Amino acid sequence: MDAVLNALRYLGYVLIFPGFLFCFMTGLLLAGIDRKLVARMQKRVGPPILQPFYDFFKLCGKKTIVPAAANKTVFLLAPLLGLAALVVLQLFIPVFRIQLHLGGASRDVADVIVILYLLLIPAVSIILGGASTGSPYAGVGLSREMVTVLACELPLVLVLLGVGRYVGRDTAGGICFSLNQIVDYQMESGSLITKASLIPAAIAFLLVIPGETGNHPFDAAEAETEICEGMLAEYSGAPLGVFKLSHAIKMLTMTSLFVMLFFGGVGAGVEHLVALMGLTGGAAAAVVTILDILVMVLLCIVVTAVGISLVHAVTARLKIEQIFKYYWTVVSALALLSLVLVWYGL
Amino acid sequence: MSHINLIHLLNPQHFPIFTIMLYFLGAFLIVLFGKNRILRNCIAFIATGLSLTLLILLVKPIMINGGVIAYWMGNRVPAGGYAIGIALEVDALGLFFGLLVATAVFVSCLYSFSYMSEDDNEPQYYTLFLMLAGGVMGLVFSGDLFNMFIMVEILTFAAVALTAFRNRVTGALEAAFKYLVVGCIGSTCILAGTILLYHQAHTLNLAQLGTIIAGNLDKNTIIAFALLFIGFCTKAFIVPFHPLAADAHGAAPAPVSVLISGVLTKSGIYGIIRLAYFLFQLMNLGAVQFWLVFLGSVSMFVCVTMALAQHDFKRLLAFHSISQIGYVLAAVGLSTALGASAGLYHAMNHTLFKGLLFLTAGAVLHETGTTDLGKLGGLSKKMPWTTVLFLIGAASISGIPPFNGFASKWLIYQATYEKAVETGNIGFAFVTIVALVTSTLTLASFVKVTQSVFFGQLPKECEKAKEVSFGMRFAMSILALLCILTGLLPNLVQKYLTQPAAATLFNVNKYINAMLGTGLPESGAAEFKPIGVWNPVNWLMLLMIALLAICIVAIASKYDAVRENKTEKVAAKYSLFYGGEETEFSQVGGGDLFWGFKHNWRHYFSFMHDLHSGIVNDYSLWAVVALALAMVYALIVL
Amino acid sequence: MLTLNYIASFFLIVLGLYCIVVKYNLVKTVIGLSIMDYGVNLLIISIGYNGGTAPIFTEGELKAASFFVDPIPQALTLTSIVIGACVTAMSLSLVIKLKEMYGTLDTREIRRLRG
Repeated sequence: MDAVLNALRYLGYVLIFPGFLFCFMTGLLLAGIDRKLVARMQKRVGPPILQPFYDFFKLCGKKTIVPAAANKTVFLLAPLLGLAALVVLQLFIPVFRIQLHLGGASRDVADVIVILYLLLIPAVSIILGGASTGSPYAGVGLSREMVTVLACELPLVLVLLGVGRYVGRDTAGGICFSLNQIVDYQMESGSLITKASLIPAAIAFLLVIPGETGNHPFDAAEAETEICEGMLAEYSGAPLGVFKLSHAIKMLTMTSLFVMLFFGGVGAGVEHLVALMGLTGGAAAAVVTILDILVMVLLCIVVTAVGISLVHAVTARLKIEQIFKYYWTVVSALALLSLVLVWYGL
Repeated sequence: MSHINLIHLLNPQHFPIFTIMLYFLGAFLIVLFGKNRILRNCIAFIATGLSLTLLILLVKPIMINGGVIAYWMGNRVPAGGYAIGIALEVDALGLFFGLLVATAVFVSCLYSFSYMSEDDNEPQYYTLFLMLAGGVMGLVFSGDLFNMFIMVEILTFAAVALTAFRNRVTGALEAAFKYLVVGCIGSTCILAGTILLYHQAHTLNLAQLGTIIAGNLDKNTIIAFALLFIGFCTKAFIVPFHPLAADAHGAAPAPVSVLISGVLTKSGIYGIIRLAYFLFQLMNLGAVQFWLVFLGSVSMFVCVTMALAQHDFKRLLAFHSISQIGYVLAAVGLSTALGASAGLYHAMNHTLFKGLLFLTAGAVLHETGTTDLGKLGGLSKKMPWTTVLFLIGAASISGIPPFNGFASKWLIYQATYEKAVETGNIGFAFVTIVALVTSTLTLASFVKVTQSVFFGQLPKECEKAKEVSFGMRFAMSILALLCILTGLLPNLVQKYLTQPAAATLFNVNKYINAMLGTGLPESGAAEFKPIGVWNPVNWLMLLMIALLAICIVAIASKYDAVRENKTEKVAAKYSLFYGGEETEFSQVGGGDLFWGFKHNWRHYFSFMHDLHSGIVNDYSLWAVVALALAMVYALIVL
Repeated sequence: MLTLNYIASFFLIVLGLYCIVVKYNLVKTVIGLSIMDYGVNLLIISIGYNGGTAPIFTEGELKAASFFVDPIPQALTLTSIVIGACVTAMSLSLVIKLKEMYGTLDTREIRRLRG
């Protein structure tokens, strides 16, 4: 009986919250808000906020054309694998107090460094999908995608090492990479964004978000005007829709990761708020849960607005070698500054 | 009487010598009876298979029960406090490496049966093959320094001869000659170091040397340490000896590449571990730790960047091989229980995934006749099995969860960062960063191979390619399966294989006691304390649920129902999008990828290209300089 | 006298290495390898030498007072000489093949594998 319940619970996690359904709704919502905001910043009217939903369902209704040169299995499977990996990844990012116990004895399945590597799977799947078409545009696109991933890797690593050291100072091992523990720590002693030594790291992470999601101005890999969307050049119909959905979900993943790493302390405020409202018992727990989710979505929207939309609106697309140089110099320097500050006890 | 003897022979005490003898006996028998193909293959199969079986039987007494086998040839046990006889000693560390060797040898032997079947001189091939295997097995089981030297020479010769085996291949002779010259400088270093130690201690037995040398070093023994260290570095192809590996791998037949990369480099790593941990017991010194970790980090980074610049499949793999060995050396050099366990785990994974990758490269060579990335492409439609197996290997080496490369690299990241925090030395944190970034660079490099060999467009020359024979696929599948299993079950692997082996490094007296019966105090169990969390089975379960759910939705909505318009005959002609132009062959070659990265590093890349001049004098000079530096450094810090 | 041995062996090793590093002719490289090997052999023999007799005894002859040189280094030298001969044979055979294939013995021209 327990096993069945557990299985159902897991199924619920994967399919509804914080898995597929949640990712689908929030991710596409974020994408819609991003498009609207960019448009407004550029004094355009912009599409309706629900446009990404319309786009997705429209693409699902379209015909799928598999190019003659393509490897059909990989061509069709790659988008699905990428989507599944992203959805599962979202399970490991806690929503303040809502921390899923998926890992048996230790409540984590994967800590934050592993998450960094799990993030590679969607990137690899889109690369494989693009490569399988045999299109030269895809070849150029995947080369650029890989370089962008490479560019983002160094600053991300530096940020995560700094955070892990900072949070782990008081623990026995001296290091803490568990995302759940990082959030717990922040709810006790304040968000990491308020710690002076980690502010450069937060800025660096914020700058990494558009690179990691492949948003403008770091979208050399999918440059529409130049290489016809690169790896997606041959994709049409539902597989294309799935890739677009994955892109939207990746925005959610990255922004929520940012929120949990640097704004985890906000969850404590939610509890205070509920206590002020005078609720107790089950009702309070339910309200806290709902508020937690709402607050996280709200924060994600804010991060999207600042980290993705604003940057999009005010910059022009960079060349790929500029992207690489930018991340390995400016952004990495910021992150390194943080790491060194944390290391020497600030 | 014979009955009693037979039962006596089944004592596990005898298994180590049997495994070594089986290889050499097999080599000898193949010289005699190798003309007959079936007989030859049977001998090779029995020799390699039986050795592997014997070693697996040893797992229980040694790994799990913590025993040590000390075996004196001709029962010449130590007399008067001096160990004069020739000894074999197998502890968990030796057995661990022995298992790696036996597995790699067995699998590549299976692969050779069909891969080498079109070569002439097959008997000679198997003779050398088994000699190489026996040499490495003898090295890891040997209990005295001089026999280690002999085995090093045997394996070097076999490897050189096998490198030059297909001597009509471009560069085979050249690679063999370079390898021979620098390899001989290395072997001579080992001999000179051995004899200097003998001069001080008047014994060659490893255990006894350990009791005599450790703790009272003088200038002679310090020089000996530097000599032996450089000698084993040449066997492991640590920087600055990496060009030899690249050359040798490119020219050697694929199963030999598996041995060179999976087995020969391990023998070097094994030698370094025995040397630093057991013989000289220097690993508690910060300077020696720095030395190993520095060399390891430099190897991992330099070789991965060299690999990015390559345009030959096997040469690229060769550089990656050394890059991964850099991980092993850096982790072992940390001198923490977690670091040693992580390093050994990675050594094991290196044998598995590198073997798999070399075998897939061999399959590609077998079918297309080339390994030039610029001439290949689109093989995934012709060789689907090989493609899948290659992707497993590539994901493993690039450290993509849940494959085995990630499991061990993940431990290495933790071990280095933990060491950094423990010692407060930010230098070790940079090692973590280098390791993390190198892993992604490895991924980039394998994306390049994937794109330019298996995906993209099929050139005309490769149209005749077809899937390789079952025998080759079977051998590759064994390794692929092991790659997945060791990635999914890191806890079991650590508990039964790497942790017992790593624990021996911190309990040297147990090794000495088993050999000499001196009764030195043994230290307690080593403490492995990982700081990270990674639960691959649960992750895979969740991924499967998600993937299944998504696939069901996809199939239900006829996601894969390709609705092609049969009436439009023109569609095939314009099958790819070229802005309305007619489709033509336009493969994006490996050399053209990652321009954005290479452009920023162009000075570094052109510098490295010029440095690897291919002239044997330059490589010898590097060896001499490395030797000199090692001596000077050792004299200063020890 | 023994100091001279050590100096000579060191000199031979360095000479061999010098030959390998500096000379561009393949045969000279092989000669360098041999010289280096001889140097090490001389070193081994010198280390074993203590002025005693040859260590050849039958069962009854060996007494506590017997003064003989350390037999182990001599055994090592024998092995090392054999291996040295193998190295020379193997490398010379490679040199012959290289000459056939490349038409030259100059190491600067035998560098198709580089970069």
